[in-house]
Amino acid sequence: MTTYEFQARPDNATPWAVRSFRTTAILAIASIIPALLSYFIGSAFALPGAVTLLVVFLPIQIVAGVFATGITKGAHRIADSVLAIGISFAVFLVAILLGSLLFSVIKNGIGTLTTPFLTQNNVYISSTTSMEYGGAAHAVLGSVLIVGLTTIVTVPLGIAVAVFLTETDSKLTGLVRFITQSMSGLPSIVSGLFVYAAFVLTGIADQAGWLGALALMFLMLPTVSRMAEEVLKLVPGDIRNAALALGAPRRAAFMQVILPAARTGIITATLLGLARVIGETAPLIVTTIPGNETNANLFFGPISTLPTYIYKFVSDISETSQHRAWGAALELLIIVGILFAAARILGKQKVK
Amino acid sequence: MENTTMSSDFAGSLAGRSHLESRNINVWFGQRHVLADVSLTFIENSVTALIGPSGCGKSTFIRTLNRMHELIPNAGLAGEVLLDGENIYTPETDPVDVRLRVGMVFQKPNPFPTMTIRGNVLSGLRLSGKSAKNEDDLVEECLTRSSLWNEVKDRLDAPAGSLSGGQQQRLCIGRSLALKPSILLMDEPCSALDPGSTLRIEDTIRELSHSMTIVIVTHNMQQAQRIADQTAFFLANESQPGHVVEFGLTKDLFTVPNDPRTEDYVNGRFG
Amino acid sequence: MSDNLTRVDLKAAKIRREDRVFFGIARTAAMFSLATVLLIFVYLAYRSQNTFRTQGFSFITGSTWDSNVGTYQLAPMLIGSLVIALIALVIAIPSSIAVAYFIEFMAPLRVKKIATTIVDLLAAMPSIIIGLWGMYVFSPAAEGWAKLLNKHLSFIPIFENTTGNFLRSPFIGGWILAIMMIPIITSVSREVMSRVDKELINAATALGANEFATARRVIVPTAKGGILGGILLGLGRGIGETIAILYTLNLIFEINILHPLENKGGAVASLIAARFGEAPDDEISALLAAGVVLFLLTLIVNMIASGIVQRAEKRMAS
Repeated sequence: MTTYEFQARPDNATPWAVRSFRTTAILAIASIIPALLSYFIGSAFALPGAVTLLVVFLPIQIVAGVFATGITKGAHRIADSVLAIGISFAVFLVAILLGSLLFSVIKNGIGTLTTPFLTQNNVYISSTTSMEYGGAAHAVLGSVLIVGLTTIVTVPLGIAVAVFLTETDSKLTGLVRFITQSMSGLPSIVSGLFVYAAFVLTGIADQAGWLGALALMFLMLPTVSRMAEEVLKLVPGDIRNAALALGAPRRAAFMQVILPAARTGIITATLLGLARVIGETAPLIVTTIPGNETNANLFFGPISTLPTYIYKFVSDISETSQHRAWGAALELLIIVGILFAAARILGKQKVK
Repeated sequence: MENTTMSSDFAGSLAGRSHLESRNINVWFGQRHVLADVSLTFIENSVTALIGPSGCGKSTFIRTLNRMHELIPNAGLAGEVLLDGENIYTPETDPVDVRLRVGMVFQKPNPFPTMTIRGNVLSGLRLSGKSAKNEDDLVEECLTRSSLWNEVKDRLDAPAGSLSGGQQQRLCIGRSLALKPSILLMDEPCSALDPGSTLRIEDTIRELSHSMTIVIVTHNMQQAQRIADQTAFFLANESQPGHVVEFGLTKDLFTVPNDPRTEDYVNGRFG
Repeated sequence: MSDNLTRVDLKAAKIRREDRVFFGIARTAAMFSLATVLLIFVYLAYRSQNTFRTQGFSFITGSTWDSNVGTYQLAPMLIGSLVIALIALVIAIPSSIAVAYFIEFMAPLRVKKIATTIVDLLAAMPSIIIGLWGMYVFSPAAEGWAKLLNKHLSFIPIFENTTGNFLRSPFIGGWILAIMMIPIITSVSREVMSRVDKELINAATALGANEFATARRVIVPTAKGGILGGILLGLGRGIGETIAILYTLNLIFEINILHPLENKGGAVASLIAARFGEAPDDEISALLAAGVVLFLLTLIVNMIASGIVQRAEKRMAS
């Protein structure tokens, strides 16, 4: 009777990853030649980098890849190498574009995030004022207040709608679901324009923070109610039945059993909804007047938010105005990133 | 190539031409050693059953025979697998060629849901970029060999998902046959099926074994006795990685086992 | 079934008072939401009907927008929206599917995790930031690409440019929309691809399929519905995009379909943002009407999308 012992994994335990010298050499040649060739062609014809990459390098590299694969692995693997090269190119292109987006915001914004910018408002600041004065603190406050009001109203409302959809067997559930979901197709500018036309133009109210919150509410409600419904549906029926079997009233079963089980899911959904809504610009430029002063009153007067602050400065070509726009963009991006990261972390806990 | 000698550890095995042979196969997942020194010989046109309790590495082993093992992240392997006398783990060997010669049927029936019954049978050709002279004949031949033809001949263009579980598994067998492999690996092909479907598949396996070499992993010892010419018993525990305890003719292994652990297992005392 | 058996009406069973309050709140909230949404629909219809009545069918087909004479015709904006959406889709669909495939099937585990997070974050990127970047960073670069296309390929009509100005063109607007859509489509496609049964991929590999064949014949057909849903979701967001397009596209009331490199384009949402401030009452009505058209367009796209996704999910679950 032979006995076997656990042995340490040897270094060469992956025979499938071993390449013969010939294959390695051919692959090396197939990667170096296209690069060199396109470099020379590119410089000879003075082509811009992007063009060289797309029009010269890509075709040469595909041809080289096809040859190399054909020689080393056989004809039936050629499609694989074309796929790999094509995909690498697409990934490269997307990475450059999206990387440039992130990089530009950070590079152009980071210098602007000074103490005055983070703490001051925009009173007495003109497009020629030095960057030592003035900031977007009032816009951050405005954003927090407006989005905060939106959230306070929308989340309970959205959950209540979700409760109606999941816990009752009313004949109206289908209609309510259909109508609230159709709101998700409401373009944000149309939401803003509706509030503007219905409240401001009719003289019912002046442009103010709460109208902005109202416009954002229409955009957030379908998302929150749909996500809350999905989360509530995920709570196992067993838990629900167990609570009811213990004689708990439906309200107690919901508040003490179902809602806690669904809590992280709902918070995650709320955070993601917030991350989306806090960057909304179009509804706010219609429903609020971006002011320079710090204004904590949601019901009266001009109020600035980060998106409308950026909007105001983008069109101004003075250098300081652009700095301010980039700085506020970075602030906004950081806020979205924090909300997003929080949602991620919570979402992971839920899995446990 | 004549290779009728058996690994010296095991006596009383089947005689015939060695079609597929593993030599000292060791497997790691990450740093975990899960299979040690598995050396088995599969004789042409025979059925070999791999039995053993869950987690003993028999399913892992069968995947090393057609190079499906390396697709698992962190997988490691040492040793050789000889297909018609040639090692399939050399840098020059294309795993695709190996998989075309060694077919595989999985535990859960997995026909392609986006394809028709006919499309599934021909999927091997389409996927490997091959073509057949007469596709209709090929479909009929494969489905006949996998004993499905009579049930589906009138609805070859129906989606594969419309079949029952047992029919789906026979479709998967037929799908492997279209590539004319000489060896068929089956990883617990009946574990998701009802007894009736299981018996039909066993009949199919017996039929197929006249013309091809079959290696089958099974939990079901009656099944091993019904269909297998030779059987290998795998075992793993806290102190030893998975290994072959005993390998021999099925009737010997089940009636006069050499090892007390084999005797305990085949008599249902553990596992 | 016998008629003699007394059937217990479960619904009529006594409901406790506190439960009645609880459900009452939920019902009130649901009815409130329903009423609000219906109110928006009714108000939009009521305020825009004036325009639909006075402008007639030419609101959709005509090309003049002039508040001095009270003529409001949307065609150049509507077509402009569709043109930039089409350009965006041409760019975004292949790149998104490629990136999703790369993340799910080619990237090492660590890259996969990071890339998934970044893509999901970019899907929530505020459009004002994309607009800022689009105006100052992307537009100058894309202007160069457009000039090159024009220089070397102007024998093809769509690369002609008689205006000599390459900035703020539908070409650039389309790219901007594509950059908004790519993270959305990628995120959904990757998710769907990750749910393709690994057993099917194994089956294909065991049948001797190479990666390309597996992708083309197994992964893409199985994930097709979900990917299409993601594309429509991205499209729905793209059609309603306002600010980023306002920064990177000229809104001109002249239908331009075939010359995307010229600085003449249109977008319904951006028109509303550009015009509402100085608009007299009848123009506000026209803008609301434009909003209704835009709303209907996104609504249709979204409905098709959710239908497709639901069907795909059902199929993948079975």
